[in-house]
Amino acid sequence: MPDGNAVANETFVVQMKSITKVYPNGVAANQGVDFNLRKGEIHALMGENGAGKSTLMKMLFGLEQPTSGEIIVNGEKLELTSPSVAIAHGIGMVHQHFMLVPSLSVAENMVLGMVPKKSGLFIDRAKAIEITRQYSEKFNLHVEPEAKVMDIPVGMKQKVEILKALVRGAKILIMDEPTAVLTSQETAELFVELKHLKDEGYTIVFISHKLNEIMEITDRLTIMRNGRSMGVYNTREVTKEQISRLMVGRDVVLSVQKDRAVPGDTVLRVRDLEYVNEWGKKMLDKVSFDVRKGEILGIAGVEGNGQKELVDMLFNFNVPNSGAATVNGTSILGLPQQKIRELGVSLVPEDRMLYGIAAGASIEENVISDRASDKRLNNGPLFNMKAIHEESDRLIREFTVLCKSRSQHVGMLSGGNIQKVVVAREFSNNPALILADQPTRGIDVGATEFIRKKLVELSRSGIAVLLVSADLNEVMELSDSLIVMHNGRIAAYFDDTSGLTDEIMGEYMLGLKQQSDAEVRRVCHD
Amino acid sequence: MLNFLKILATPEFFFSIIRISAPIIFATLAAIVVEKAGFANIGLEGLMMFSALSGSLVSYYAGSWFWGFLAALATGVLMSLVMGFFAFRLKTDIILVGIAINMMGSGGTLFLCKVITNLTEGKAMASTTGLITKSLCIPDIKIPLIDKIPFLGAVLSGHNLLTYLAFLFCLLTSIMLYKTSLGLNIRSVGENPDAASSVGVSVQKIKYIAMAFSGLMSGFGGAFMSMAYAQGWSQDMVSGRGFIALAAQAMGGGECLGGMLSAVVFGFAQALGIKFSAVGLDSNLASPIPYAVTIIGLVVFAVVRNNRVKKQHSAAALMKTAGKQEA
Amino acid sequence: MTKKRQLRFTIIRSLVAILIALLVATILIFISSAGATFAEKLDATREALKQMLAGPVFRFSKKNGTAFEAKRLADILAAMIPTTFTGLSVCIMFSANQFNLGAEGGIMLGAFVSAMAAIYLPLPAWLHPVAAVLLGGIAVAVTMLLPALLKTKLNVSEMVCSLMLNYIIMYVIKFLMNTYLADKTRGQIMSYPFKETSAIAPIVDNAVFSGAKLSWGFVIAIVAVILCGLFMYRSRWGYAIRMIGINQDFAKYSGMKVGMIIVLSQVLGGFLAGAGGGIEMLGRYTSFSWSALPGYGWTGITIAILAGNNPYMVPFAAFFMAYLSKGCDLMATYAKVPAQLIDIVQGVIFLFFAAEQFLSGYRQKLVVKSAEEEIKLAKARKEGVTNA
Repeated sequence: MPDGNAVANETFVVQMKSITKVYPNGVAANQGVDFNLRKGEIHALMGENGAGKSTLMKMLFGLEQPTSGEIIVNGEKLELTSPSVAIAHGIGMVHQHFMLVPSLSVAENMVLGMVPKKSGLFIDRAKAIEITRQYSEKFNLHVEPEAKVMDIPVGMKQKVEILKALVRGAKILIMDEPTAVLTSQETAELFVELKHLKDEGYTIVFISHKLNEIMEITDRLTIMRNGRSMGVYNTREVTKEQISRLMVGRDVVLSVQKDRAVPGDTVLRVRDLEYVNEWGKKMLDKVSFDVRKGEILGIAGVEGNGQKELVDMLFNFNVPNSGAATVNGTSILGLPQQKIRELGVSLVPEDRMLYGIAAGASIEENVISDRASDKRLNNGPLFNMKAIHEESDRLIREFTVLCKSRSQHVGMLSGGNIQKVVVAREFSNNPALILADQPTRGIDVGATEFIRKKLVELSRSGIAVLLVSADLNEVMELSDSLIVMHNGRIAAYFDDTSGLTDEIMGEYMLGLKQQSDAEVRRVCHD
Repeated sequence: MLNFLKILATPEFFFSIIRISAPIIFATLAAIVVEKAGFANIGLEGLMMFSALSGSLVSYYAGSWFWGFLAALATGVLMSLVMGFFAFRLKTDIILVGIAINMMGSGGTLFLCKVITNLTEGKAMASTTGLITKSLCIPDIKIPLIDKIPFLGAVLSGHNLLTYLAFLFCLLTSIMLYKTSLGLNIRSVGENPDAASSVGVSVQKIKYIAMAFSGLMSGFGGAFMSMAYAQGWSQDMVSGRGFIALAAQAMGGGECLGGMLSAVVFGFAQALGIKFSAVGLDSNLASPIPYAVTIIGLVVFAVVRNNRVKKQHSAAALMKTAGKQEA
Repeated sequence: MTKKRQLRFTIIRSLVAILIALLVATILIFISSAGATFAEKLDATREALKQMLAGPVFRFSKKNGTAFEAKRLADILAAMIPTTFTGLSVCIMFSANQFNLGAEGGIMLGAFVSAMAAIYLPLPAWLHPVAAVLLGGIAVAVTMLLPALLKTKLNVSEMVCSLMLNYIIMYVIKFLMNTYLADKTRGQIMSYPFKETSAIAPIVDNAVFSGAKLSWGFVIAIVAVILCGLFMYRSRWGYAIRMIGINQDFAKYSGMKVGMIIVLSQVLGGFLAGAGGGIEMLGRYTSFSWSALPGYGWTGITIAILAGNNPYMVPFAAFFMAYLSKGCDLMATYAKVPAQLIDIVQGVIFLFFAAEQFLSGYRQKLVVKSAEEEIKLAKARKEGVTNA
């Protein structure tokens, strides 16, 4: 079944041979990856977040350079030093975040950087519009050349991006999760267009982790896991279950020692949260669950299925369209962060550099940011420096933050130690509820283990923990019970994680299965 | 009151509005273009001071207003490029670069003036007014035919060459921004630099160009101050026009036409102040009007903008959900 | 990077910036100095530089040689008073990452209000200056509510708004002076004299400083520095201001009231500028005669940049600026180089201090060195652990 014994002299339009990419911070994003494209195929590149597929494609598009390995395009070995080099060799990329200028018209965006001119000075607008029309008709990608980009729907923006690549002569199109931002109709439309492009002889790389879509339109697929290729397959020869097993799974099963949870009263109660984002995509669909004292409720799922939005609502970085969320009976939706924290809610944020720390401030200043107004740290109008020093030294010790002193800038620490600073603060202020959003992403093994142990310890001491993680290992080992999110909905609830397998998880995470409403409703302990 | 209105209803008054607006228009265009490129140049005040000085001095030493005029433009462009170097290369906060240029523009110009001319020993105030004759200034222009029209002729004709250029440049700048590839690049760099660089547009280069354009406009503004508005340079003669321009840019919604109209509003307020003193009122009562108008204008602009953004967001979301439910 | 290395880098960077500025100054002095030949010009330049760099504390004369000048030093200390206050004001406002440039108008308004209080309020001595200065400070604090609230509520640029306020303040004060408040018996436009009860006393007997005027305002300024330092580094509000300045999202996430704190920083900055104006007015003058913005606000910005927004460094930066300014004045008197050289020198120093990438190559070297050491240390530690 693997495609390894393909005809040896078969010509590929792209061959990436044993590509390894090590980032300056030591993360090996790709390790000896082989990847190739046949002319005129739609090739899926699959894998969970962090599996290394974006890195691989960035190297093909010249945004990053491989540490070792070679890239051969149309039989020619290339040094892809920048996107312009890649474009010159017929490689185009449609980014997940569109590279468009909102106030310019579609036609202007099309020709940016290669503007047709008249009298040597002025933009030949008619020509730009004509080029746009011509390509739009040729590839059957309908756009309105004269509309401003900010006024057109997301689906059309994506078409503009595709046309932009085509007009620059791209024969190979890399599409980075193109359906993530699209509604179902828009997705259907996109597939018709992609098939049309394929018939015209274009080669398309389709990055995704949505199984149904991949089964529908791709010819072959490459699966990546943990920076390695798990093999190349012909799409019609594999089943969804096989793919799921190859894609979702743990290489090493870590196990964390923990006693059985004895859940108490409900702390966080979330009911029927609904959220439609500003582009009209439904990100949360009737999400309801409870988190009780003394238990860890995990939220598993491939990223982008509503987890981020959910956490944003619970800490008032955003407001849902409808629904309710209470902590010990008090509504927290729309409440200022200060009040939310007063209710005993702590958050380990997903983006620690953006929210979690002030990089230019000292460790001490970072660990007291949520309690700077506490009576015990103040003497009248002034800080009680002795108490603050004691507090920060205690936290540095307790959370084993490796540093020179409490006055060292947090920005100078390693990722793991920065996260320990965040965690030291969030775990230590007598929380009733801890929201831990991707608490160990991108940090070293030591820090990861430490943080996981702490989470278990805290939950056993009676704190409610909501753990959001795209790391299957983490969410399955730590959680007492867990829910799986898919497409903004709760796809499954498991009140006991002990019998769970990677296969079962994969099927729910990738949307192959969906529990009944009644089964899902069990997560509400009314 | 009626008498006062009578004074206002004269061609001289309207003439003075146009005249006073000209330097503000130049500076406003400078502010508009850099804002389109995604940053703010608050050093316009200082740039105009330097340009005004060099224009005045070179015209004196070269004995020709033309060379002075060119020197003013060159000074503006060169100094703006130095600002660009600090801001884009040495990563200095662009606001602080502007403040530094303004500080130098205030006292530093006086220093240079004293040193170069060896003038005004011991005097607190220095200026080049004593050196400059009418022929060293940029000439006024009578427009044939139009100047024959009663009232309107006296308002529109006989302005300085640069006054006409100021209004012409509103049109030209607008064309540059919206009809040329340079303008397209400037706007895309300001709005989404990643998008611009992803198609091979050099963000740095475009920013330098925008900076140089603001220097060029400041050069025009400075030349107008010392070689048209007044006969010669004097200390702090730009008196806040560079700052007012920042407000005119914002009030005009960042567009050339709007910016020009805002600049004319300030011109009107200032002309009014001058008339106040002409009828015996204290000009200090009228002088703050343009600055107060600026703050009010900014507030009105902000309220309108905030409402519009809110509406757009909710409308877009509503439309999309409605469409989805139908299907 | 270690603290010691950080400090070393800061010091070297500052010195290089100052050296560049002095180099620019030297070139300008050379160009502007009198003399027909190169040697003569060089001589004149040397003389001018001597006056500029040493003149502020030494007097050079052929007869008596070089002698320490207490009066000049006192002048410098006196000149520090208003700029220390504006420097502190800017420190606090800029620390929250708010570019409010209203210290310039603020110090003029504060001076004016205090002056009016000094003329018209019938109060006993001691209480009188205190009340007058407080009134000056409060007036400006209230004024700064405008840019601060417009920023937090409507996102109107606090920078443009505060700049416009500077001009409005100046013209309104001029109007009030011309029309209502001027003492018509005087030749120029100035207010009636202050009541004697309002004066801020001189710090020491005039005779010691041979006519120099240094009021208790200097001591108040130093006290203000300490209070501001305590506020910024030892109080929860100052802490919040600094955290907002470093990372506003972090501050919000941590539960700080970001909008309120931003308003607080500007109100407080306004108060300091206003109070500084009052202290300057009552300590140095006997009637109000300012007819233009005094420039102390802009110097305050330079001082804040030199001080790195650290209140404790403000008096040093203020001293440095006052010293330079005095030096330039003396140079103008004795060496015929215009005193406004100070503005160019100030601008150049300012630019290089603010330039983030200035000497970044050198910093990079230090960072790499530190990182290497750290790795070595970690390795040694690990080995130690395994050995044990």
